[in-house]
Amino acid sequence: MSDAVTQAPELTPEKWLIATTRRVKGDLLWSIAWAFAAGVLVLLQARLLALACHRLIIDKSAFSLILPLVGLVAGLALLRGGLLLLAERRAAAVAAGVKSDVRRRLYHRLQLLGPSGRSGEETGPLVEAVTAGVEGLEPYVLRFLPHLALAALLPIVALLIVLPVEWRAGLVLLFSAPFIPIFMILIGRGTENLNRKQWGKLGRMAGHLLDMIQGLPDLRICSAAKREAASVARVADDYRQSTMVVLRVAFLSAFTLEFFATVGTAVVAVIIGFRLLYGYLSLVDGLFVLLLAPEFYLHLRTLGLSYHARMQGLAAAEKIAPLLALPLPEEDGATLAVAPGPPTVRFSGVSFRYGGTRGGVSEVDLELPAGSVTALIGESGSGKTTLARLLLGLARPEAGRILINGIDLAELNGVAWRERIAWVAQQPFIFSGSLRANLLLGCPAASDAEIRVALNAAAATDFVDQLPAGLDTLLGDRGAGLSGGELRRLALARAFLRQADLIVLDEPTAGLDAATEELVATALQRLAINRTVLVISHRETTVRSAQQVAVMAAGRIVDVVTTAQFLAQEDACAK
Amino acid sequence: MREVIRILGIAREQWLRMAGGILLTIAVIIANALLMAISGWFIASMAVASITGASFNYLIPAASIRAFAILRTVGRYGERLVTHEAGFRVLALLRVWFFRRLEPLAPAGLESYTAGDVAGRLRSDIDALESLYLRIVLPLTSGIIAIILAALFVACWNLAAAIALLLALLAAGLLLPLLAGRLSTEPGRKAVELSGELRSMVTEGLQGGEELLLLGAVELQAMRVEKLSTQLIAEQEKLAKINGITLAGAVLCAGLGLSGVLIGAGSAVGSGTLAGPILVMLLLFAAAAFEATAGMPIALQLLPGCRESIRRIRELADAPLPVPEPAAPLALPSDYGIEFKDVSFAYDPARPVLQNFSCHIRSGERLALAGASGCGKSSIVELLFRFRPYGGEITVGGTEAKNLASDDLRSLIAAVPQRPHLFNSTLRDNLLLANPDASDTQLQQALDDACLTAWVAGLPEGLETRVGEGGSAVSGGEARRIALARALLKDTPILILDEPTEGLDLDTEKKVVTRLAARLAGKTVLIITHRPACLQLADKVIWMTATGDNRE
Repeated sequence: MSDAVTQAPELTPEKWLIATTRRVKGDLLWSIAWAFAAGVLVLLQARLLALACHRLIIDKSAFSLILPLVGLVAGLALLRGGLLLLAERRAAAVAAGVKSDVRRRLYHRLQLLGPSGRSGEETGPLVEAVTAGVEGLEPYVLRFLPHLALAALLPIVALLIVLPVEWRAGLVLLFSAPFIPIFMILIGRGTENLNRKQWGKLGRMAGHLLDMIQGLPDLRICSAAKREAASVARVADDYRQSTMVVLRVAFLSAFTLEFFATVGTAVVAVIIGFRLLYGYLSLVDGLFVLLLAPEFYLHLRTLGLSYHARMQGLAAAEKIAPLLALPLPEEDGATLAVAPGPPTVRFSGVSFRYGGTRGGVSEVDLELPAGSVTALIGESGSGKTTLARLLLGLARPEAGRILINGIDLAELNGVAWRERIAWVAQQPFIFSGSLRANLLLGCPAASDAEIRVALNAAAATDFVDQLPAGLDTLLGDRGAGLSGGELRRLALARAFLRQADLIVLDEPTAGLDAATEELVATALQRLAINRTVLVISHRETTVRSAQQVAVMAAGRIVDVVTTAQFLAQEDACAK
Repeated sequence: MREVIRILGIAREQWLRMAGGILLTIAVIIANALLMAISGWFIASMAVASITGASFNYLIPAASIRAFAILRTVGRYGERLVTHEAGFRVLALLRVWFFRRLEPLAPAGLESYTAGDVAGRLRSDIDALESLYLRIVLPLTSGIIAIILAALFVACWNLAAAIALLLALLAAGLLLPLLAGRLSTEPGRKAVELSGELRSMVTEGLQGGEELLLLGAVELQAMRVEKLSTQLIAEQEKLAKINGITLAGAVLCAGLGLSGVLIGAGSAVGSGTLAGPILVMLLLFAAAAFEATAGMPIALQLLPGCRESIRRIRELADAPLPVPEPAAPLALPSDYGIEFKDVSFAYDPARPVLQNFSCHIRSGERLALAGASGCGKSSIVELLFRFRPYGGEITVGGTEAKNLASDDLRSLIAAVPQRPHLFNSTLRDNLLLANPDASDTQLQQALDDACLTAWVAGLPEGLETRVGEGGSAVSGGEARRIALARALLKDTPILILDEPTEGLDLDTEKKVVTRLAARLAGKTVLIITHRPACLQLADKVIWMTATGDNRE
């Protein structure tokens, strides 16, 4: 992850993009070189055509004498095609290199940052950045950068050839050319903002129709469907009108471009015509210059047209560059490890508020004795999950310490510590792949026999055996196809497989029917043997398997009692 | 292409603009080719005149050069404006047509459209309509016509040169892109598939990031993502290379076309049957004519996807109505009693939801339906709105619902559906949907009755607050009460409430029920609920079971 690009967050999107392409500079230069060679061959082809015309018209040569010239023109076309093919291949390699490099680094960084490090961004836009965002870089490197280079080089070559032949025509080209980019930039700047707004509007217009269609049953219930058809028309019409206002200005750039290129060519033609009439110029030279005039403007126009490719790339870079510049959580080289066996955990004055008021914890003091089960209960938003996340090392306390066998968690080696713990989330992570692969995620070396044992312990054997493909059953998006209770038991089996010493469970029985809850609770009791367990739960069946109950309210531990005391209190309340 | 033309028929009132755009585009291409042609002829004639000493009237060609330069420049600007104006107008017409067509189909007719991702599919299909005129029809028609015109122009002087040019233009504009299209079908399909897989894998990795970290499987997932990404990029690289073949092929076609024109017209000059300056004219004309093919490869590349979208849209729009409209609708009844007689209904024929369901709600009576989830309570609402076909009879005021015009039928009934949809607009717009002419007093009354007044007062923007996409900015309980206020605003003789207090805490529920009890007086009401508080609203409760019903 160490590279110059990501260490400099102050880079503008354009500079970031250029710095990124530096890694594939070789291919990029080759691509430009091939395209440049193809561009030079056009000039040669023009000379040959002019020469053929001159021979036929002025020298009155026989047609058979110019046949070699025709052959050369065709041969040059073939050569040019070949060079362009090479150029495109290199450009494709450049785009591929940039995309795979940026995507790898971006995904890696987002993964390492975890939800807490992503500065509160939702998953959706981040996925967009990794997938479509990275694709958006392609037109910039594949089109804009080569076009920029060619627009800078080829017109100069053409001009250098024209000037000695007919300097008047050369001057016309020289003075008309700069107007094209200048005007395009001036007009482009003015419309850029408007353009962005229009893109936003386009999205909203598409969204509006979709919203209307999804709500059609409600529209019909409200007897509003016919009326709202008019609003679909109105939104589309508003969009048309406001877009046309922008386009009227934006198309001025096309107008300018066309104007200078066309008038420039026309003036060159007239100048050459009179120079020819007065005999100061031969037809071959005159025709050559006239053929070069459109070529001269062509690359400037192409550059103007790839403006959109540039915008697209910059928009993508604007999203990606800041993500790559987010600071990574520091792995401060802590090296201490905890002795094997269930650890004793002690929270000592632990506070964590992450800016907000809801869900944080304040000055928590709590001890989880080695090999015990502690149930953590409290209203939603009272900080239970935050406390669990702090223990798992997913967040660091802002104040206070978490001691594992007396050693501060901050001084433990992160990787080694995580190998000792298992977490059963409320909605466990299931990726699309086989059931076996999902179980092996935390313990890749486990054998099928070990998997069987774990499934048994987690009371999951029954339903797994009923699946048509057993362990090879494919689990879809977020584990579709299995019920919540079944997924929860798979996650328990995964925790069994891991042979962890500390286990944290988040509401393992919430939303389950009574029979399944009983199954999960017994599995939990088996899991708790010789392990330190923290379980967030309200359910009586779960609380029963605990030795102590910690009650949280508003981010503080308000009570720690034995299970027997807690159940007695509950009974008293119920009565 | 036929599907494309058929769907454009919907926008036929814009044909003048569409045709005008195409003509202007052709004019701009031809003007440029003529500018180059006359320039060439002009300089060659000047050179000949200089040698032979013959006089040459240069005023007319010089003036034509200026004229074509102006036509080209102004024409380009006008063409852009006209074609975009036409494109947007066509799009607007298509959207309205699509919406009107879908309206009578919802919801039953839309369910067969796609399994699952209706929203995503619809969005991409509607987006495909956007490129229809501007990026497909326009470049293809104007390109083909310009190619033919260019060949005809050259044929006026030399047939062989014309044929060579025609072949080269057709190869560059049609043959090569079609060939490239065929080559890229397979990698294109794979790329779409892989990018879908990549998206879900990245989503999994980021959503499950913490668990992956704790499981020590971060690297594993990163490797899986990278593998997919590499495969995807390899397919995309193939596509880019195929695109390179198109580009190189176009250059080759242009070079060969020029050689052909040079052979055809040059041999005629050699044999003295063609004036020398005409050769230069034809060569420069031919070189400029290749502009006609510029937009065609992209159009042909977009065409298959667009055709597929149009096919889906048409299929949906041409689907038969789930419940046909009566040929001769009967007049609205004056009595508002509702009777279900032996009503049967199933989403899936194998699994009937309702079998011989019968019940009678007298005009002005309030009836509650209770029972386990899945016993078909909510489908009764949809049947009453005639959204789905059913067996048996449903009568309103003694008239069979199938014999009433559906708009008339729905003007009698207001409802809070099980999952109300809030539109991405302001609170006020959402409330006024059912009754745009409601006065402020009526609006306030409805808010009071739905116990929303205090909540609205607490919002910084009050009724102008936007509810977000699908009502994402409000809670489920709030959404339900907004739908309740909306239904009350419609002020119809019949009211249907499907779990009106779901998602409310007990306190609010009690308040809503008290207000409703007063508000419902005199209306025929059907309440579907399993909450005890709501049952108090009813005069009569029917417990539904999977087999029959028993009264209380």
